Amino acid sequence: MTAPLLVTANIAKSYGSIVALQSVDLAVRHGEIHALLGANGAGKSTLVKILAGVHPADAGEMYVNGNPMRFRTPMDAMTAGIATVFQDPALIPDLTVEQNLRLSQINDAAFRHWLAWFDLADLDLALLIRELPLETLRMVDLARAVARDPQLLLLDEISAALTADQADRVFALLAQWRGQGRSAVLITHRLAEVRRICDRATILRDGRNVALLETEQTPGERTAEERETPLTPQLDEHLLVQAMLGTPKQGNRESARMKRTFGEEAFRVQGLGSGPLVRDVSFSVRSGEILGLVALEGQGQERLFALLSGDRRPTAGEIRVGGRPRRFLSPYDAVRAGVVLVPGDRLLALLPNLPVRQNLALPLFNRMRQWLRIPADERHRVRNTIERLAIDTRAASQVRRLSGGNQQKVAIGRWLVAEGRTPQGASMWTWRTLLCFDPTRGIDIQTKQEIYALLDRLAANGAAVLLYTSELAEIPLVCDRVLIMHDGRIVDEQDAALATESSLLTAAHGLDQAVPA
Amino acid sequence: MRSILTGHSGSWQRMLARNGWILGVWLLLSVLLVWYATLIPVFGQFQITSISKNSLPLVYLAIGQAIIVIAGGIDLSLGALLLLSNVLAARFMEDQPFGTVLFIAIAVIAGLSILNALVGYVISLSGVPDIVVTLATSYIWSGVALWVLPSPGGGTAPQFRWLFTGSLSGIGGSYNMPILMMALPALAVFILSRRSRIGLSIYAIGSDEVAAGFAGLDVRRAKIASYAIGGAMAALAGLATVAITGSGDPRFSIGATATLNSIAAVVLGGVALVGGTGLVPGVVAAGVILIMLNPILSAMGINPNNAQIIQGVLIAGVMMVGGLVTLLRKRTS
Repeated sequence: MTAPLLVTANIAKSYGSIVALQSVDLAVRHGEIHALLGANGAGKSTLVKILAGVHPADAGEMYVNGNPMRFRTPMDAMTAGIATVFQDPALIPDLTVEQNLRLSQINDAAFRHWLAWFDLADLDLALLIRELPLETLRMVDLARAVARDPQLLLLDEISAALTADQADRVFALLAQWRGQGRSAVLITHRLAEVRRICDRATILRDGRNVALLETEQTPGERTAEERETPLTPQLDEHLLVQAMLGTPKQGNRESARMKRTFGEEAFRVQGLGSGPLVRDVSFSVRSGEILGLVALEGQGQERLFALLSGDRRPTAGEIRVGGRPRRFLSPYDAVRAGVVLVPGDRLLALLPNLPVRQNLALPLFNRMRQWLRIPADERHRVRNTIERLAIDTRAASQVRRLSGGNQQKVAIGRWLVAEGRTPQGASMWTWRTLLCFDPTRGIDIQTKQEIYALLDRLAANGAAVLLYTSELAEIPLVCDRVLIMHDGRIVDEQDAALATESSLLTAAHGLDQAVPA
Repeated sequence: MRSILTGHSGSWQRMLARNGWILGVWLLLSVLLVWYATLIPVFGQFQITSISKNSLPLVYLAIGQAIIVIAGGIDLSLGALLLLSNVLAARFMEDQPFGTVLFIAIAVIAGLSILNALVGYVISLSGVPDIVVTLATSYIWSGVALWVLPSPGGGTAPQFRWLFTGSLSGIGGSYNMPILMMALPALAVFILSRRSRIGLSIYAIGSDEVAAGFAGLDVRRAKIASYAIGGAMAALAGLATVAITGSGDPRFSIGATATLNSIAAVVLGGVALVGGTGLVPGVVAAGVILIMLNPILSAMGINPNNAQIIQGVLIAGVMMVGGLVTLLRKRTS
């Protein structure tokens, strides 16, 4: 009997006073696809960084093929046959694809072979990394990792930025990989993926491994130790959720929803255009309404949000806020007009090195006109918001050290802080329209629910919300109406309560709805 | 979408667009040269030699600074290293045969390169910002320079002066040698920085240090290498100064001015101070431009006291034009 490909025992890691991993045992067999699951902040990314040699573990052992290992640098891990695709592509933005390959000493032929596998055979390698769209970057990063010909592939949220057919290519690769006796560790929030391609799943919670689940079809070879504990529960989405959350959760999400009444029209765009990316987009949102927006990757939604938030100027059309036409020369103008943005990249919206408190209070800094007299209610507002959002403040001294979900809460929560008026009077900014770009991407189920409730509450208090999301299942839960964008145009509008994933996907592909039989 | 990713036919225009700034700097240099030629009664070999040899110290220093800035750092001690190299050479080369002088030159280059590599090592080890550490070392090297050569003096071999100035006496001579001595090290560093793994690593850590680490690069080694190159180029600049002036001068202000000029040349040459971008040829042209301003302004009959104001206005003006172009390009894209 051969030793498992990778075994870790009692791996622990702390960053300063924050314990990221308490004790993790993970075993990856030869020829298996192993899912690593857990809510945000459970320690998945930390574990990946330790396995990839980016950070050393504080304690614990690691074995590859039965040999004890200690990685000091990422190069050590690569030499041991472990290749990693991180959540943020490890590619140098100011160098070309080709130069990046040369830097990591990748065999050009192997890389091109895998690029072709991912349908990118004609990618121009002389392009700078910063010129490539995110989903292409992830494929390039993956092709580079695979070209190293590793025994074990670590994939951190690989499918998050990919289109469905790109994800299919990746899964096909993994299946082939497994057939050759190689293995992969897959970190994902998409449970359907786990059921579809993973053999086993290790679930982390609060820095410990709390469960090991197994799919029924492929028991695979079993170690003696595992035979002694034959009651490995089978892989099931409810079990997964339960294990991640720790306590059984009721699936009753509807209860979170408030009764909302729509007021007057808060935000309207008419014939908005920006080159070929955004074409003749018109819609309006009323106060108290959550309008959804659905699109496949790269259909112009990023540009649309840049236009709406004042980051870019449109080449055609107009934006009306509260019935008055507005021209935004910069995001400052948009905020002043009462249109605020929660961008897709959380750290873009936050000041990563400043504490949570100051980040939350940012919108209040506009009151700095009153010079150094810090408003008496600032502290009160911020504290209230932290409590209401249940922001985990263990790492409150620097926002960048928070987990992704907590960062997102801060990014949205700051507008909650700025809600309403000051006791002093009207010098406070008031905003009416909230633009949210994929706020729940890469976030665990529990935090997602909290963010839904938060948006719901903001709308109930009179905000108009435009929500772009890549998670189609969110639409009926959160939105009132939904727009579907395809190739720069709004191609369909549906009643969110009646929308299904299939009706949305059909429209998002630019197809007409199938005639009901 | 596809068409963006596969643009072989447009690689030409892409080259132009990516290197537009550098082409602009070379264009500016050409315009200034032509203008200067029309300003003065005689323009010939003497002027070309004079401009090219006088540019040598700043061009060397700017190339070294550029590599450090590209790696995401900044070195305020390069001028002091120039000073140190200058006085070491002047003191020990005096009355020596050419062979010994060459040996001393190589020793000074190697020594200062290792010295600055140590500084880079200290920076990457301690995590103290580059600007703080190199400010401190700039005082140390200036002090050491005074200790090596307390007052201006010393000398070097005539053949060594010919090497950088094209003339055994340092006066007149042909412009072949100074231009060759400018082109060779510049080309060497340029090729090293764009073609070798360590050179690309230097760009990588300046562009995105975290991604570079994740990609398995040795971030610390790249940082140290950039400082080693900076030290070597500063030593070369000091040697060129000895060859041009025929002596050593330990005055602190020479080093301080040289450091600031090297940063001005780096910025003007299209290297972003945040690191990761910029190419050596742009910095070379920018260095020559800064040196050319003085003779042009004096040919125009402008009071040297006002020359600095014009120099500052020019740098600010060029940078603002560059910023405007970038802004317009972003708007229209």
